[in-house]
Amino acid sequence: MNAVDRYSCEEVFRRLNDYLDRELSPAEMALVQEHLDTCAQCAGEHAFEASVLRELKAKLRRIDVPQSLIAKIDAILSDPGHREEE
Amino acid sequence: MLAVPDWTGSLRLLAPLVALAFTRPSRTEHPTPTPLDDVLTPLLARAYGLALRLLRNRADAEDLVQEAALAACRGFGTFQRGTNFKAWFFRILTNCYYARHRRQRHEGPPVDLHETPELYLYSRTAEIGLHQNAADPAQALLDRLDGEQIATALQGLPEEYRVVSTLYLVEDFSYQQIGAILDIPVGTVRSRLHRGRRILQKLLWRLALERGVVPEAAKEPG
Repeated sequence: MNAVDRYSCEEVFRRLNDYLDRELSPAEMALVQEHLDTCAQCAGEHAFEASVLRELKAKLRRIDVPQSLIAKIDAILSDPGHREEE
Repeated sequence: MLAVPDWTGSLRLLAPLVALAFTRPSRTEHPTPTPLDDVLTPLLARAYGLALRLLRNRADAEDLVQEAALAACRGFGTFQRGTNFKAWFFRILTNCYYARHRRQRHEGPPVDLHETPELYLYSRTAEIGLHQNAADPAQALLDRLDGEQIATALQGLPEEYRVVSTLYLVEDFSYQQIGAILDIPVGTVRSRLHRGRRILQKLLWRLALERGVVPEAAKEPG
């Protein structure tokens, strides 16, 4: 078996999105991390992409729920006519 | 009055698939049945958030959450106790969304899907010198756009990318979870999410140019 013990910049680049989303295997995550620890260019690209995702998630999640919706859902949930037998 | 589609039949068929993707170890072999109110009410804010980001209209988002809540009431008997209720409910919500809004097309200028390279914002912000002037150039750019503006850019994605991207960005679901919610393979989730991310970066850059948060001189060639 030909085990990979180090990733090149290109190999890291191909895996960057999956790495950001924590969708790689633990072994692949470790190999990417090891490369990022030693390659300033790839680390800079990773830091930028991670920051984009962090900012987008934070801003898209800032939402106030209308009280009117909560009241309407309460009404639905308390109406036995809407329920299938549990 | 809301017209409520009957999801009960399809939920019954799909419940085992969703359960497989979201099953977590149960502490007891015979979990006590949970009232729907206890599990649904804490999710309302998240559900409304997702609905609003999908629809961009508060009244429509409220209607969608109500419709999903009604369908959940009617189909709660098909929910497998001990599995992930949130994923089960979000599947209902996205099904209701598709049923009501599939015909709606995204608005805004057309996006060239084939020519958006990786690291688009990284390259553009480097070109205008933001990397020299800011410790976190991505934050420096996006701090100048608010949530509504970012939602506008997200709305510009073609629907197949937009729904996957919204589930990921708003709820942080894994690829597997998104695949189970939308009933598509994980590989499809991955490709749509990665491509949608590239297109979204292009849309964000256009928005930044339109809103004057980056200099007009930074416009992309051509």
